Amino acid sequence: MKRRTAFLGLAIATSLALVGCTASNAGSGSTGGVSGEPVEGGTLHVLQNTDFSHLDPAQGFDGGVNNFYRLIYRTLTTQGVGEGAKGTEIVPDLATDTGTPNEDATVWTFTLKDDIFFEDGTPITSADVKFGVERSLDPSISIGSPYAKIVLDLPEDYQGYYISGPLDTIETPDEKTIVFHLNQPYADFAAVVGQAPFTPFPADEGVTTTSIDQQPIASGPYRVTEYQRGSTLVLERNEYWDAETDDVRTAAPDSFEWTFGLDAATIDERMIADQGADQDAIAGSVQAASISRIQTPAIQERTIQGLQGCTTYMPLNTTKPGMDNPLVRQAINLAVDKQAVKDGTGGSQLADIATTMMPPTVAGFTEFDLYPSEDSKGDPEAAKALLAEAGYPDGFEFTLDIRNNPKMQAQAEAIQQALAKADITVDFNLIDSATFYEVIGTTSQQHDAAITGWCPDWASGATFLPPIFEGTQIFEKGNSNVAQLNDPAVNQRMTEIRAMTDVDEANAAWGALDEQIMELAPAVPLLFEKAVMVVGSNIAGAYAHAGFSGGIDYVSVGLASTD
Amino acid sequence: MSTVPSELAVETEPKGVLPTGSAPTPARRVIATLRKSPAVVVSVGIIVFIVLLAVLAPVISAITGWGPYEYDPSAIDSDLGGIPIGPLGGISAEHWLGVEPGNGRDILVRVAYGARVSLMIAVSATLITTTFGVVMGMISGFFGGLADQIISRVMDFLMAFPSLIFMIALLSALPAGNRPVLLVLVLSIFGWPYTARVIRGQTMSLRNSEFVEAARASGARPLRIAFREVLPNLRGTIIVLATLAVPSYIGTEAGLSFLGVGVMPPTPSWGQMISTAVGWYAVDPMFFLIPGTFLFLTVFSFTVLGDNLRRVLDAGDAA
Repeated sequence: MKRRTAFLGLAIATSLALVGCTASNAGSGSTGGVSGEPVEGGTLHVLQNTDFSHLDPAQGFDGGVNNFYRLIYRTLTTQGVGEGAKGTEIVPDLATDTGTPNEDATVWTFTLKDDIFFEDGTPITSADVKFGVERSLDPSISIGSPYAKIVLDLPEDYQGYYISGPLDTIETPDEKTIVFHLNQPYADFAAVVGQAPFTPFPADEGVTTTSIDQQPIASGPYRVTEYQRGSTLVLERNEYWDAETDDVRTAAPDSFEWTFGLDAATIDERMIADQGADQDAIAGSVQAASISRIQTPAIQERTIQGLQGCTTYMPLNTTKPGMDNPLVRQAINLAVDKQAVKDGTGGSQLADIATTMMPPTVAGFTEFDLYPSEDSKGDPEAAKALLAEAGYPDGFEFTLDIRNNPKMQAQAEAIQQALAKADITVDFNLIDSATFYEVIGTTSQQHDAAITGWCPDWASGATFLPPIFEGTQIFEKGNSNVAQLNDPAVNQRMTEIRAMTDVDEANAAWGALDEQIMELAPAVPLLFEKAVMVVGSNIAGAYAHAGFSGGIDYVSVGLASTD
Repeated sequence: MSTVPSELAVETEPKGVLPTGSAPTPARRVIATLRKSPAVVVSVGIIVFIVLLAVLAPVISAITGWGPYEYDPSAIDSDLGGIPIGPLGGISAEHWLGVEPGNGRDILVRVAYGARVSLMIAVSATLITTTFGVVMGMISGFFGGLADQIISRVMDFLMAFPSLIFMIALLSALPAGNRPVLLVLVLSIFGWPYTARVIRGQTMSLRNSEFVEAARASGARPLRIAFREVLPNLRGTIIVLATLAVPSYIGTEAGLSFLGVGVMPPTPSWGQMISTAVGWYAVDPMFFLIPGTFLFLTVFSFTVLGDNLRRVLDAGDAA
């Protein structure tokens, strides 16, 4: 659920063809351009609208903050560096490899590297990793990535280290070895230990549930030296971090400095103007209104663009009268004018039209379009025919939950306008931004449909389709299966795919399942949103990381020169 | 107001003995004076224009061929973030005032429908606050005592309230429902004390005037005195207060819609259009200027008219 806040966070773009262009333009020069090699040193500035959700890795859970965590924290594994699939590959970080499973993938063993330290110079041991996981399971802070809770073999009612004590199912036979026992076969466990709650913390020090959010203890290349919530955040080098032990992080700048609370339009102005310290700055995606202003060759040279790796979609609540009829849902799928939704979102530079639920950045992505129309403008006639067949010859009416934010309103209005042509009346239920996800995640409060988004936790269908379409994932509160789809065939297939030990076979199966689900039309896939980022002219090594909602990979970016 | 007694003299004249018929009525005199002021003539012209625009919105929509919610993808450039194609925000023979970026909706038609919403809300709220405010003010001022104590404390309470903040909170918390009605209610709740307070003061001074004493001495019942003797003498004040209330409600409605708690999309509203336009000011300033100009002209015209009315009513009595 937290994943969706990635839309708000520092959302930048994954690399597709367009980044390729930027790269080749700049690559023809020497070391210049945004894709060149960064030099050591200097201070890199980040301009940001909203502060990070949490500095505690047990709590933060969106693309922007996960990207940030890699600067100060290390986990057993992590995502790779590089554009596209290279970035979403799981690679070793604190561990020497991506783990050794037993035969049925229920017991996983990892070995820690040598010369890894916390910011105070104490070595990181397997006990620290174990403590980090146990701490993250405390009910008061376990609002981040849920995978530890889902796959670890936990005693019933385990409430974390502080309440229930240490776990027996994570073994630490020596200082360098850690063994995890799972409650199910899990072929993707190497990706799970790369999730932020697996960050190690010193097991014996005064670490409490709340202390990390106030004063993080760094294991990565930087440590937090100054933090004023909502205003500024300064990172400086962690001298105990050894580049020899880290194949992932370039960590070129000497320090990072965040400025929060800037208006989105102000950020765009500053990035376009490129004056003074802003030449050393990066920022999130520009607004639709600024797109036409960044088309000059000079600004295009420092523009990065790509997919966020998320899907913006409209789940249709399959439990509501009318909506429980697949024909009605298919009619809605047919009638939506996705082109208009795209234009309202910022046009072709900020979004691609989605016809599948899984975004192209997810392994196993299979392209299909079950509800085609000319130029994706919707087919109201075909929709009317389906509605008549479903028993609604005079039209249909439903209520759409939307978030009180201009972009979502524009998307909703485009849908409303398109559906009106097929005699489908859409009423809006405008929900305050702060409580939107809570409302649509509460089954008793949600209406017939909503506009929301989903990003995978790592690039696999396993973290994409089950949370939003599996029958067993319907909860009264904190529900992510907003469509409330509970289809026996789909549920069955998900269980089967999860049992597959061959990751490639499983990925292909998820792609096929996507099509099977869309035949039931429990949702209307709308857009694969993109981010377009303008970086300062003195930035080097910037690329959009597919694993962090398309954000500029913090651990690779740096300055082109420190003069 | 110090001029009230003389106003009484003028206005009670017809009710007195027999109308002489030679002197102009107060309304005619006021209109004649106002017509000499170019500012008032222009303001009234603008108000008439805006009202016509609102009333004829469907006709305008039919003439231009664009509905208030109708998208025109051919008028915007999808590859450049959805900016309108053509100069000045897409002003063309087809779209007389250009189109909205991102969807290509016709701005003229939306401004016209927005005028409907704004005027409807402002005029309804004015009617309610004026009626309620006058009744409360008169009860409070005329009867005094406990009634005055209660009403005055309620008024003090409502006026001391940070009303804008409360309106935002209230409108965010309330279910969507019928927004224009909710807006009218919320505006009215916080608006009536401003009318009532002035009316109360005036009523108190009228209550002790000679003609009221005379009416009382002749055995008139209190209600009759209030409505037949006092109320007619408050006419000028009420007109001025109402005229000045309209622009303030238009402004507040636009402000609330700007903040996203007023009229809900897709219903067109000036405040909402201005709010959307803020992000586009650099690339499409016309999107900001057009609804902004309409809002400015409407509020300005009503204010000028109201001020002049007050001036003429005040000065006219002395003459």
